[in-house]
Amino acid sequence: MKRKNHSAYFYVYKTQILKSMAYKFDVYGNIFMQTIIMIATAFFWKALFKSADSMDGVTVDTMLTYTVVSSMVSVLLTTNVEWRITDSIRKGTIAIDMMRPVNIFKVFFAENLGGVTALFFQNLLPIFIIGSLIIKLPVPNSTKDAMLFLVSLILAFLINWFLAVIFGMWAFKIIEMSALIQVKKHLIRLLSGSIIPLWFFPEGLRSVLECLPFPYIYQMPISIYVGQYTMDSLQKGLLLQVLWVIILWALKTYLEKRVTKFVMIQGG
Amino acid sequence: MKMLKTFKHYISVSLACIRMAFLTIVEYPSSIIGWLISNPIQFVVGFATIQFVVQQFGEINGWNYGQLAVLYGLSVISHALSMIFFVQGWFMGHYVIEGEFDRFLTRPMSVLYQFFFAQINIFGITDLIPGIFVFVYGCYKIHFHWTVINALCVLGMLIGATLIRGGIYILLGTTSFFTRSANDFGQYTQEIFDKTTMYPISMYPESLQFILTYVIPIGWVSFYPVSGLLGIGTEAAKLPGIVGLTIVIGILVMIVAGAFFKFGLRSYESAGN
Repeated sequence: MKRKNHSAYFYVYKTQILKSMAYKFDVYGNIFMQTIIMIATAFFWKALFKSADSMDGVTVDTMLTYTVVSSMVSVLLTTNVEWRITDSIRKGTIAIDMMRPVNIFKVFFAENLGGVTALFFQNLLPIFIIGSLIIKLPVPNSTKDAMLFLVSLILAFLINWFLAVIFGMWAFKIIEMSALIQVKKHLIRLLSGSIIPLWFFPEGLRSVLECLPFPYIYQMPISIYVGQYTMDSLQKGLLLQVLWVIILWALKTYLEKRVTKFVMIQGG
Repeated sequence: MKMLKTFKHYISVSLACIRMAFLTIVEYPSSIIGWLISNPIQFVVGFATIQFVVQQFGEINGWNYGQLAVLYGLSVISHALSMIFFVQGWFMGHYVIEGEFDRFLTRPMSVLYQFFFAQINIFGITDLIPGIFVFVYGCYKIHFHWTVINALCVLGMLIGATLIRGGIYILLGTTSFFTRSANDFGQYTQEIFDKTTMYPISMYPESLQFILTYVIPIGWVSFYPVSGLLGIGTEAAKLPGIVGLTIVIGILVMIVAGAFFKFGLRSYESAGN
């Protein structure tokens, strides 16, 4: 029985890859958007570093690598699960989704993985090529840092996904979600160091943000990639990433149970 | 006499439309509250993060963070105004595919007028608030002198900027009469405008600056008029000439856009059989 279920999730994963391949315009549109953001950010850093060779030990080369890698990472951290939940609640298909003999949240995860796999080839590689040609070839600081980056990135992916699901579960209570989803998107984009790393934030705000899950989504893996860390901050950072994964996973599991009950009551 | 009567008619229709737009707020309060939180966060936090960096470096291409706030604020305000009056340009593809223009064509009023002004997007106000907030903050930081002339200049450049933005939305939207696809260019357009009006365009390579000045006049939405207003950069024309030029360019873009829209409307074939 268990084996059968696993192949079901794998099937969802495969289907999602094929589905994602179908929307050509969205794909080009996303590449276009990411390229604009990436190039504008690169020129922003270049203009800033005209007056200073380095700032807080950061050089313009570091920031250009940071920018290209951040654009690539943002492709991998694309989540659609909030919209997916909102949509199926609005249309009422959530009841059917939940009746199926699979765990709906595992299905969402498989869908997300499928989408990201497709995006890896459709968006990440083009952005890597464009970024390397126009801005800078994003070379990692060292091989060891590249390996650590991958570990941190996987943790970041999980944090990001759990946050999205927990957020999406609000839709069970609030039907009009689109504005809230935008809030979350902007907060993650601005406060996770995806464009401007937290090194440049004022001390007080930075300490507050470091207590929230945001910086562990972009800032942590990318700063490892460019080598902007101390042994101390690395250990603390990775530990906190693991901690956030556990906390958010627990929260998700708890909410999942409540939400399932809620739907069953509603369905009578 | 007839013209005056037509004009009066258009004004009364506009007022009725504005009233309807406000009524939609009453109808969907939860929705607008969501956007009232969402949009200010986007722009205010967005500016704050830029400010942190610029503050550390001191300036970016000769702009300190107070001046940058004025630029950013005015850019967001003109964005909001263009959202209120011209956002339909983003969704023109949808209207073409669904044959929605039939409705406008059968009415005895200008199609362009109906398309844009008969459906004012009141939700744009949620962008206006953060724009004013950042602008006022910038004015405070640079000790901006509020004289009558300066106030008129700000007003003039906002009108020009809104017309340029609106004109470009119409131009882009009109292409869907020919392509007949429902692709929505909205977010792409906004991303381009954000990156070219919220930062000084002097940070981009000269070729790009040339395009933004002479080919697609986005530089005139905020960069040139605000440079003139704050006296940044020497080769740029001074006030009030530069504001006048902004308005002229705005009107020119609108005229071109209107003509293109009329031309595009000819190849409109409704939907279905």
